Amino acid sequence: MRVLLVEDDTMIGTAVQDALREASYAVDWVTDGQSAATAAASHPYDLVLLDLGLPARDGLDVLDEVRGTHQPVPVLIITARDAVEDRIRGLDSGADDYLAKPFALSELLARMRAVLRRREGRGHAVLSNGVLSLDPATREVRTDDGGPIRLTRREFALLEALMVRPGAILSRTQLEERIYGWGEEVESNAVEYLIHSLRRKLGSAAIRNVRGVGWMVSRHD
Amino acid sequence: MDGLKARLNDSLQFRLSAWLSLVILLVATIAGSISFLVAYDEANEFQDDMLRQTASLFDGRHLPVQATADAARVPVADADARVIVRTLPQQGPRGDTPAFPSNLHDGVQTVELQGTAYRVFVRTLGSGPRIAVAQQAEVRNEAARAAALDALIPFALLVPILLVVVAALVRRFFGPVAALAEDVDRRAGDDLAPIEAGALPREIRPFVIAINGLLQRVAESISMQRRFVAAAAHELRSPLTALSLQAERLASAAMPGVARQRLDTLRQGIERNRALLDQLLTLARAQLASPGPAAPVSVQAAFRRVLEDLVPLIESRRIDLGLDGEADARVCIDEVELGAVLRNLVSNAIRHSPQGGRIDLSITPQGGHVLIEVEDQGPGIPEAERERVFEAFHREQGADGSGSGLGLSIVRTVVERCGGWVRLEDAARSPTGLRAIVAIPAASAG
Repeated sequence: MRVLLVEDDTMIGTAVQDALREASYAVDWVTDGQSAATAAASHPYDLVLLDLGLPARDGLDVLDEVRGTHQPVPVLIITARDAVEDRIRGLDSGADDYLAKPFALSELLARMRAVLRRREGRGHAVLSNGVLSLDPATREVRTDDGGPIRLTRREFALLEALMVRPGAILSRTQLEERIYGWGEEVESNAVEYLIHSLRRKLGSAAIRNVRGVGWMVSRHD
Repeated sequence: MDGLKARLNDSLQFRLSAWLSLVILLVATIAGSISFLVAYDEANEFQDDMLRQTASLFDGRHLPVQATADAARVPVADADARVIVRTLPQQGPRGDTPAFPSNLHDGVQTVELQGTAYRVFVRTLGSGPRIAVAQQAEVRNEAARAAALDALIPFALLVPILLVVVAALVRRFFGPVAALAEDVDRRAGDDLAPIEAGALPREIRPFVIAINGLLQRVAESISMQRRFVAAAAHELRSPLTALSLQAERLASAAMPGVARQRLDTLRQGIERNRALLDQLLTLARAQLASPGPAAPVSVQAAFRRVLEDLVPLIESRRIDLGLDGEADARVCIDEVELGAVLRNLVSNAIRHSPQGGRIDLSITPQGGHVLIEVEDQGPGIPEAERERVFEAFHREQGADGSGSGLGLSIVRTVVERCGGWVRLEDAARSPTGLRAIVAIPAASAG
């Protein structure tokens, strides 16, 4: 995997470059917008990490040029500009993800993996929160220490809703919407019943409840 | 006296009233004196004419009768006011009336007889006898004074009315100025909107325009400072990122246990810095942003997003946090700002909660607002302190210093800008603890 790192801050650049190399990426590092555009045009990178506040040329300008030449390279913006409008502009300009400074290296690496996965079309592969992994193909769930456990259709629908984004809290209404199709009659306490049976199969800590707010599976990364 | 002098110097309105009143009194006094004197003179002249006319009723063949008991019997209202007619020199018996000396010249004169002043008109009838027509001067003067005083009545009645009217008019003309002062006085500390100059008199308008100019410059300078804070916080992000990345890199290196312990402390410090910078930026943005129309946001959904980030902290302190009921409401506020408000309220509650404590959230529509309450079981805040905790960087006593000191400033700035309010109260469900109540304008249904 060859990554183009565009970052004008030396200390940040060094740390990111070292971390990426350690994670087995090949890294080319440029520090201004003009060199970034040139480098992106001259070599087919697997991923571009792009800072926005750059000397010579602004990052969004570089992104426009890269997208203008129809290069499908995934671009992950890393920047100190974190206002909502900035994020929207960045994503609208064709960035694949947006990471605001200050960020943690572990999060950067995770986002890079996600972007690459999406690009390879296996974005909806096995869902995992670090402890549980759910395979949509087989409707089986695996825990760290156990073999595959079969889930019923509704148990799977509920767990899948929670596992799409571990750490997200979903309300009863949101869960009911995922479990029942159009026109299906919602049974009262159906959510509690399904949670109860899932906990029996996966352990009581697998699904957390926040009183009055909703349910979630924790992130373990 | 000093107080009066001070008021004279201080108040244009008072000065105007005082001087106008003084001038009115002075003019009234002079005018009154003149009309008094004129009326007095006229009354005297009129009485002299009366003496003359009485004298003209006599001639050489019709001499006045000498004073008799009969004459004294003619009924008059005031015996002293009687007109006395005598021939000169005095003949016949002397009655109770005075005798006039014979050396009086013809015409009107004042004569003193037996201690009483008389106004006397003397006339020579043909070539023979002379007669004197007299009346007590005091009586005449009294009548003249009475007539003259009557002339003063309109002044006496009108001057007080005039004074009251002048005072009322002056107050009325100064009304817009007083109203303006009150309006400016009532303003919130950060309200720098220009003063409405439309209804003000032309003399005052230049002041208002000057004040508006000053307000605008102050607003610009405040906004510049806030932009500076935002820019500074923003600029600090890159070096802080560099620092935290290097620390993270360092953590993956092999090192002795004691070094790792110190590195952990260092990374906690960096994390605190990051949190502070974030809060500083949020506050600066909230202060800079102009309240625009916001799409309705669900409070419950906002709580869900905020709690997603806080769940690890809630779990590590074994806090029982929950939302009462499943009620939801929609409010008119920027989604990100509502998140900042809720995050600050909930993380304050978590920070001050004892291990294993309970935090209750609630959402209650009330009138045109939605009340959002966050109640903890921490030590609470004494009532006297409650206003001060809204100040930026205020530190509560006994706080562990892990907060940024900006949370409640952010909450108040955001909430007040969108037309709501925030209040701190004693907890309702436990003996100690704080209940933070935020009211945000509800989104109209539909």
